[in-house]
Amino acid sequence: MHAFLDQLVNGLALGGIYALIALGYTMVYGIVELINFAHGDVYTLGSFFALAILTALGVSGEVHGVALGIDIAVAVVGAALLCGIVGVLIERLAYRRLRNAPRLAPLITAIGVSFVLENAMQLWRGPAPVSFPSLLPNPSFVFGPLTLTLKQILVVGLAIALMAALQSFVKTTALGKAMRATAQDRDAAQLMGIDIDLTIAITFLIGSALAGAAGFVSGVYYQSTWFFGGFGAGLKAFTAAVLGGIGNIAGAMVGGFVIGIVEAFSTWLIGGQWANVAVFAILIIVLVFKPAGLFGRAVVEKV
Amino acid sequence: MQLHSVLRAAAIACAVLATAGCGGGTAPSGTTVKIGVDLPLSGADASVGQSTLNGVILAVEQANAKGLPGGLKLEVYQLDDAVQGVHNPGQGVANVRTFVSDPNVLAMVGPYNSNVAKAEIPITNEAGLAQIGPSVVADGLTIGPDATQLRRTNPTANTFFRVCTINSRQGSAAAAFAKQFGWNTAYMVDDNETYGLDLTSVFSTDYQKLGGKILGSDHLAPNAQDFKALLLKIAAAKPAVLYYGGVTSTGGGLLRKQMFDTGIGAMPFMGGDGIPDLNTVAGKDADGAYYTIAAPNAEKLPSAQAFVKAYVARFHAPVGAYSANAYVATQVAIDAIAAAATANKGAIPDRASVVKGVAATDLQSAIGRVRFDAAGDIRNPVISLYGFKNGQPSFIKQISI
Repeated sequence: MHAFLDQLVNGLALGGIYALIALGYTMVYGIVELINFAHGDVYTLGSFFALAILTALGVSGEVHGVALGIDIAVAVVGAALLCGIVGVLIERLAYRRLRNAPRLAPLITAIGVSFVLENAMQLWRGPAPVSFPSLLPNPSFVFGPLTLTLKQILVVGLAIALMAALQSFVKTTALGKAMRATAQDRDAAQLMGIDIDLTIAITFLIGSALAGAAGFVSGVYYQSTWFFGGFGAGLKAFTAAVLGGIGNIAGAMVGGFVIGIVEAFSTWLIGGQWANVAVFAILIIVLVFKPAGLFGRAVVEKV
Repeated sequence: MQLHSVLRAAAIACAVLATAGCGGGTAPSGTTVKIGVDLPLSGADASVGQSTLNGVILAVEQANAKGLPGGLKLEVYQLDDAVQGVHNPGQGVANVRTFVSDPNVLAMVGPYNSNVAKAEIPITNEAGLAQIGPSVVADGLTIGPDATQLRRTNPTANTFFRVCTINSRQGSAAAAFAKQFGWNTAYMVDDNETYGLDLTSVFSTDYQKLGGKILGSDHLAPNAQDFKALLLKIAAAKPAVLYYGGVTSTGGGLLRKQMFDTGIGAMPFMGGDGIPDLNTVAGKDADGAYYTIAAPNAEKLPSAQAFVKAYVARFHAPVGAYSANAYVATQVAIDAIAAAATANKGAIPDRASVVKGVAATDLQSAIGRVRFDAAGDIRNPVISLYGFKNGQPSFIKQISI
């Protein structure tokens, strides 16, 4: 029982990071039907930005009290903002011109952008894993058989809070309405006076900002980051988005947690080398029986 | 993942085609003899790759200063086998093809990693190019059916030699050290690569022979970053020591680091010569980690003092784990080239005579006497044990096996 709960919490924390990245995949796909393969690298970039901000703040070890709150806030907001800007730039420079090109062209471009970001990060911070300051004290909270650490609470809490904020933004604001309209029918939305370019840029801004926040969280959680880390995490987050039903925000969240838990449990029960196999096997099974994902609606082909 | 690998494979294929095209079979010209060096010079293995390369550079510079028969000059021709920051067998193959197609390359030193060597040996074997490994320790490179398979083109003409000890001896030594420390139960984790699998399989056999108990074993997934699920499982098994077969960059560093997150930071962590750079990832968390090196500690050996002095003076850096081995491997190559050149009246000799010279080596070197057996392995090897203190490696003891 004890091991079961430990693995469950561990899987949830891991899934929280996947979920935050998956949100960006799902938003961008929902609106421009582009699988933004560079998204995982934006997430890694976020961890490097957060590290740079923490270094500039002079943080090198544990911080307590009010200073901890300020440092976290500055690092999260800073990393999210910088990543958001990078996301907008990527969209402007690499994807906008290809918006009406055949599907394959922006996909290949996205892979190209991914290489560019990976190599830029390798040049910036070197190829080896880089240490992240152990910002959070790491006390454990014991509830009966359940043990939680502060880091795990931070990851899961932040993921859920950001998802809730995003959901209410998309559902209630005018801008969110514009995003939903653009996702449904770009041309019709444009005819109704919606600025498509701006709406898509904002989608990239928000999606990349969430990846930036996820980058900070993963840095704090693992206390290390490296330039290539976004590749594997991005791929699993993409799987999470597909599993939940790509284009669906709540689905991406649930997908992320499911994948985190599957990964933890398959490592525990089958063996570490089979974790990826289990994750992708589940993906295939879900897609066979529910091609639109767990929460996706079957898409009617636009004629 | 699939798309990335396809693209990478395509890039490698292009590189292979490009290098295969240029001038194989032409005779060497001029008076320059090149020694090919294939090491991971960028990426996560760059720090060990560079200190190994430094050993080669030092040997070549010293030989040039002393002079070679016929006024020949030696040149270090280094290529990097890291792709996206990690040593890559495909890139190693491309590099060795580049060496083979350059007629002035008479011998090569490298690679650093066993899986890269496994891909390269068939090519040097086919080309008859002497290859001397400073640090590749997987058993199957020289002995057993695996080695026969690697030498399939010229089964009788061995071209691969190594100045390090083979894994099985490192695994045996690790098992012996672990028992000496009183660690009677172990959990094994490996990175599923040639080197790591060899290490854990030999450790397991010898450890149990000595009365130790293996409580479980597991493999790491490639490119994984989160090992907490695995570590929670290990925490529940409560072994006295965690034995890791693998290198820092394939998960060793993060594994050690995350032991502290899962409450088993106090458990000793032991590995082979794949983790002397564990501190680059784990920092101070490396304390409590131990590793074996398939070589004597150069700084403790009286015979190595001249080398250590020259190395520090030349590179202003401490000697790396395999710097001395690379230095000696290069000396072996140079001696063979010089002897063959003398026999060839001062002209650049052919590759076959260099291979013969290397096989017949009997050198009093910085790491002791170097003689090769028929398989290409060094005789009477020494294995040393290190541990981390305050985030820095420190020598503990060594045994001869």
